[in-house]
Amino acid sequence: MAEQRFPSPFEVQTPTGADGWERMYPYYLQFSEENREWEDGVMWFQDGMHHPEVEFPFDTITHECWQIALGGYNSRIFAVPPAYGIVQRIVNGYVYITPVPVSSEARMAERVDVFMKRAGFYYENWNDLFAKWKVKMEGVIRDLQGLEVPTLKRLEDEEVVTGAQGLSSGYRLMSAYDKAIDNIFLAWQYHFEMLNLGYAAYLNLFMFCKQAFPGIKDETIAQMVAGADILFFRPDDELKELARKAIELGVAAAIRKGGPPEAIVEELRQDPNGKEWVAAMEAVKDPWFYFSSGAGFYHHHRSWIDDLTVPWAALTGYIDRLEKGESLDRPKQEILDRRERLTREYRDLLQTDEDRATFDQNIGLARTVATYIEDHNFYVEHWYHTVFWNKMREFGDRFVEGSFIDESGDVFYLNRWEVGQALYEMCTTWATGGPARGGRYWKREIADRKRILDALRDWSPEPVLGPVPDEISEPFTVMLWGITTERVKQWLGVGEAVPENEIRGFAGSPGQVEGAARVILSASQLGEVELGEILVCPITAPSWGPVFGKIQAAVSDIGGIMSHAAIVSREYGLPAVVGTGNATKRIKTGDRIRVDGNTGVVTILS
Amino acid sequence: MSNILWLDECTPECAELVGGKALGLGHLLRQGLQVPPGFAVSTVAYRDFVEGAGLGKEIARALEGAEGPDAERQASERIRALFRSFEPGQTILDEVRSAYTELGNGQPAPVAVRSSATAEDTPEASFAGQQDTYLWIVGPEEVERHVVECWASLFTPQAIAYREHLGIRHDDVAIGVVVQMMVPAEVAGVMITLDPITGDRSQISIEASYGLGLAVVGGEVTPDRFAVDKVTLELRSRTIVSKDIAYRFDPDVGQVRVTEVPDEERGAPCLHDDEVVALAGIGKRVERALGCPQDIEWALGSGPAGGRDPFLLQTRPETVWSRRSAEPIASPDEPILSRMLKNIRIPMRLKDAPETAGDPASGGGR
Repeated sequence: MAEQRFPSPFEVQTPTGADGWERMYPYYLQFSEENREWEDGVMWFQDGMHHPEVEFPFDTITHECWQIALGGYNSRIFAVPPAYGIVQRIVNGYVYITPVPVSSEARMAERVDVFMKRAGFYYENWNDLFAKWKVKMEGVIRDLQGLEVPTLKRLEDEEVVTGAQGLSSGYRLMSAYDKAIDNIFLAWQYHFEMLNLGYAAYLNLFMFCKQAFPGIKDETIAQMVAGADILFFRPDDELKELARKAIELGVAAAIRKGGPPEAIVEELRQDPNGKEWVAAMEAVKDPWFYFSSGAGFYHHHRSWIDDLTVPWAALTGYIDRLEKGESLDRPKQEILDRRERLTREYRDLLQTDEDRATFDQNIGLARTVATYIEDHNFYVEHWYHTVFWNKMREFGDRFVEGSFIDESGDVFYLNRWEVGQALYEMCTTWATGGPARGGRYWKREIADRKRILDALRDWSPEPVLGPVPDEISEPFTVMLWGITTERVKQWLGVGEAVPENEIRGFAGSPGQVEGAARVILSASQLGEVELGEILVCPITAPSWGPVFGKIQAAVSDIGGIMSHAAIVSREYGLPAVVGTGNATKRIKTGDRIRVDGNTGVVTILS
Repeated sequence: MSNILWLDECTPECAELVGGKALGLGHLLRQGLQVPPGFAVSTVAYRDFVEGAGLGKEIARALEGAEGPDAERQASERIRALFRSFEPGQTILDEVRSAYTELGNGQPAPVAVRSSATAEDTPEASFAGQQDTYLWIVGPEEVERHVVECWASLFTPQAIAYREHLGIRHDDVAIGVVVQMMVPAEVAGVMITLDPITGDRSQISIEASYGLGLAVVGGEVTPDRFAVDKVTLELRSRTIVSKDIAYRFDPDVGQVRVTEVPDEERGAPCLHDDEVVALAGIGKRVERALGCPQDIEWALGSGPAGGRDPFLLQTRPETVWSRRSAEPIASPDEPILSRMLKNIRIPMRLKDAPETAGDPASGGGR
């Protein structure tokens, strides 16, 4: 299959109406003549796991942050022997990535000792380091929350003089932006401080189990490691508590009344019990409502704190269930008991004492790192990013005040460098009193970019570009992105033929059901889901958890066994097929489909 | 001492007396698992028969110098004809008749008559399929005749060849016979409590097809295949194929015969997922009770739980993987980080990979 190849990134056509897309993104994220020889010689795959949608120019900051952080830790800090970092490019607005191998055997050998020593230090001190990590991470979040985004007033306040501040608001506004950008890069440095080592320990157990039990499912291994107190369940647990409190205070009916949640909250405030309930909700909002309706990588996936629709739907559902006398408690003890039983039974099936000893070591290390793997995501992608996107909206407000843009959300049509430029011009013209070009310049540009992004949104990105590797053996690529030699063959059209009405993905959660499909493209549509339907969506976020109480199965375009959709489905005991690639495009709402969570096959019946 | 033992009386102390198959079924029954009721005709009856008829010398003579497939086949035919030409003693005939009548509650019940060899079904040497099985036998005379057929089946050409291959003396073996109520199977098949391809002990592998199990055991149909996780009892995979024929009892001719599977059923899974999981759960219990991986024959047929109630027809230790010596996967004494490194591989292997970026010695990235 070496002769076969996917389209070269240099051959990909720009969709009609998207001309000029390149200027939205920094030059270094683009394929170029300067790097053509190298870029044309490696395989690129679309990172649908983290960046499934077309990129708003500003939102590229999230992957720029992870590109430098992941690479730095792999290549220079921990010296992972065979792998440097992951390189990113953008084609037609979509993110493509390729991992960089360490090609020289000598260099690889040289890195082994460094890796052993440095990774060893982290593993030995894992719990301590994680405790410190939380403090650092919360510090970063609080710093950003406290960052003032000053307005540019016609005249500065008196204190600038009496306090001898020596600074103008123009300077402070530019400086605030630089701090915010610095801050998100810092957050992502921390994100990767322990992550890849965590995954490596996880993987060590996975690979061992796969050797000992070739047929064992990834999700089963995950169950032997998972704790019952995952941070991801906490927001949902808080809603359950609020549901209990609503009944206790006699405000359940008022909460369930219907209409926009924000209006209901206002009404509740008028009554002492309602006020008490609202106070209880306000008390848990920070941080538990900093929970994205997506994976956190896009500014437009709003969080609970910004829009109460999703938590409100869950809340009313919980009130209903409590009134019916149901228990909302997650069976934590059962989860732990099951984890212990699985571990013991697999251990007993091992054939030698050596294997049992190795298994014990591997499972011990995987459990040590598991909390970090499970929890870092809430800290960074949800909590931190929610704060970050909203901070950027404050800069958007300043631009609106300066008549540079029409609405604050338009700021995301500028990339991070352009925001800096526009901010400089705005602050400077505020200072000089001279005319600003930016107002007309950026408004015209933003209008044009809206057109371009619309055109790009309709483009279906090629899953892979470039030559085909003989083998994809790197376990992270397989585990995190679901890219396997088999998958690539299927994309090439040389794999096993798949019947026309079948869609293949990964078996995310076991079980098989048939039912009516409900295609949901964003969190705002979640209210349309009816009891007993099968959710078909591009990607699910942990905050969608409550809707899983209504559906009987889930199908996603994106995600592997460890994706949130798979984890939540297993938690709710629903069959799930994840990482189908295009289920939302091939299935229509109302289609009768069969979801087989054991084999990873979705069949369109009618 | 009686020549007949009821299956639940077949305990390990009786191993020499009843043979491997009866012993396995006795184990299952004592575990409370569902096995069609039946009895074993002891090896003593076989020895009495051989002795009473003076067959020992005849057998030795027939086998003398019988080397190679043709000679073994001829010897087999002669010996089996000899078996059929002698009538068993009255005592054994009476005992079999009385047990058969009791089994059918006075009615002439359809039974399976199956051999249960003493050297059979040990992990060291599988005699699987070396002796014959007779299905849907009705009436005491027929049962008696087939008991003799089972005795004679100790001398099929393949059994003779197999013993030669293993160097087992032909007069060292004796054979018991199991007479068991027939299960009119809707679906039947085999189940191995590991993955026969990879040796994965966390898997239970099931093969199933319509009708009686002999189509699957005899390899006459390609069966549906299911793999279940032994620990979680979750389905791992399911391969459904077209199953064209089934062995079923035909009341019109009073015999088991091959029938065509109706078109609409051929490509459908012959087991529901719940049934697969229930069978695997039984397999797991059997392995636990017997202490090693098992090779089990099963059928779904009419029983207390309805028309598709699972029955176990036979179990024997799995022999292929159980005989291999287990090599440790890794050494627990090797540092965990060093083991870990073996799993972190080069991201992608390209034949003509370009020189990569990333080497600081070559100028910070290029």
